[in-house]
Amino acid sequence: MHDIYDFVSGPMVWVSLIIFAAGCIYRFISMALLAKEKDPFLYNYMSPYHALRSIFHWLTPFGSENMRKNPVFTIVAFSFHICVVIAPLFLFAHIILIKQSWNVSWWFISDTMADIMTLIVIASCVFFLIRRIVRPEVKFLTSASDYIILAMVAAPFITGFWTYHQFAGCRIMGIIHILSGEILLAAIPFTRLSHMIFFPISRGYIGSEFGAIRHAKDW
Amino acid sequence: MRKKTWVLCSVIVLSIIFLFVTAYSQDNIKYVQDPAFTKRMRPAAVFNHDEHNENASIDDCSTCHHFYKDKVKVENETSEDMKCSECHKIDKDPVPLINKYHLRCKGCHEQEKAGPLMCSECHVK
Ligand code: HEC
Ligand code: HEC
Ligand code: HEC
Ligand code: HEC
Ligand code: HEM
Repeated sequence: MHDIYDFVSGPMVWVSLIIFAAGCIYRFISMALLAKEKDPFLYNYMSPYHALRSIFHWLTPFGSENMRKNPVFTIVAFSFHICVVIAPLFLFAHIILIKQSWNVSWWFISDTMADIMTLIVIASCVFFLIRRIVRPEVKFLTSASDYIILAMVAAPFITGFWTYHQFAGCRIMGIIHILSGEILLAAIPFTRLSHMIFFPISRGYIGSEFGAIRHAKDW
Repeated sequence: MRKKTWVLCSVIVLSIIFLFVTAYSQDNIKYVQDPAFTKRMRPAAVFNHDEHNENASIDDCSTCHHFYKDKVKVENETSEDMKCSECHKIDKDPVPLINKYHLRCKGCHEQEKAGPLMCSECHVK
């Protein structure tokens, strides 16, 4: 048990962080080079004002036409995204482990709050899953990788909740939790989850083209 | 004469009670629960004081109950009559004191490759 724990909470953390950071940089640069080769005018279109305007609208709940048309999905998607980022970054258990390893710490949320946010993420994942199965227009666009990605996102939250509440087998769950978190982190740059880094760029580009060239709204 | 016996008897009884109570309270440390943590977030940490130190063969009390004077560690001097939090005070943020406990306890378990490491193994519900 000591060797497994030491391995997943030591070298594996570094491996996943390095894959995450290097992967983001690599994907960013290769995307920028590809754009330059395929569509060099893209860089001329970019208008910071219109780009930021579009990003702002899409980051505001019900800030776009599409969101107003699907209110339930919008509410679930926004609460999911807020919780999926805030909960792990400001979780007390994570803060105390980072403090012990690197002697840095920051503000944390209460464990009750973390529990609520974790349950919101798990419930949202169930909602996304059912939507994919039930709605024909979404099912049509769904491939096996979408289910795998959904499972990869849900896994650290389910296992983390399990460990915190000390349900049966929580030690093994703890190890699986740490591993699943590391797998998720390492997978972000290379899957659809990379919208985390590309959202501002693609939104900014579309916003620039619509705003500065076509003089139209894209939200 | 009768008065003398009475005093002697009560002194003996009282000292037996005193010895019993102090010995009992020391032997009976089953978990660590520092009162400095006013708003507790976890269950108290299990720690069977004497049994633990026997199993782990720790003879030097100052491994944990170290004593410092003017920020310099005093060898051969211990502080078992003090709470850790009497020196490692909480100044609004409890994280530094929690970290001191974890460094001491979990740090040794990592080094020795024996003893609990995960939150749920020490803060047992
Ligand atoms: C592994 C670390 C460790 C070692 C080694 C250790 N102790 Fe302790 N001891 C503790 C902790 C933790 C407490 C609880 C302190 C508290 O409640 O603040 C404690 C409490 C005590 C108390 C009770 C103090 C009180 O506030 O009630 C006494 C007495 C004591 N220890 C004596 C000793 C003696 C004597 C030795 C050496 C034979 C020793 N300890 C070795 C960790 C240790
Ligand atoms: C007499 C005051 C005093 C008491 C009592 C005391 N400490 Fe300390 N401790 C210090 C000082 C001073 C330092 C060095 C400065 C610092 O790191 O804060 C220190 C350092 C430490 C460190 C970091 C350096 C090292 O030795 O590894 C840990 C961990 C620690 N203490 C844990 C504890 C624990 C656990 C207890 C209770 C069992 C305790 N201390 C009781 C004064 C004390
Ligand atoms: C100097 C090293 C050292 C320190 C300091 C230490 N431990 Fe341990 N601990 C061990 C070792 C070694 C074992 C394994 C003993 C065995 O299983 O034979 C152990 C085992 C344990 C166990 C398993 C049950 C038992 O009692 O054997 C618990 C619980 C535990 N430690 C809690 C703590 C806590 C809480 C602290 C801090 C107050 C602490 N330990 C500090 C070395 C240490
Ligand atoms: C080796 C045993 C050990 C492990 C492992 C451990 N702790 Fe602790 N922890 C302690 C001891 C000893 C204290 C101080 C005594 C007390 O509980 O008041 C403490 C104190 C705390 C406190 C402050 C008291 C409170 O309830 O607010 C928190 C919070 C805490 N630990 C959280 C954690 C978390 C989260 C983890 C896992 C990342 C963890 N601990 C792992 C031994 C341990
Ligand atoms: C993206 C990655 C990760 C996510 C999303 C995540 C998420 C979570 C969540 C949601 C909880 C439970 C909170 C609650 O219900 O109160 C949790 C607990 C925990 N996580 Fe993570 N985690 C991740 C990575 C990691 C890693 C890499 C480690 C260790 C190196 C780790 C260690 C822990 C521990 C020890 C607990 C707590 C158990 C307790 O409090 O008893 N996590 N995590």
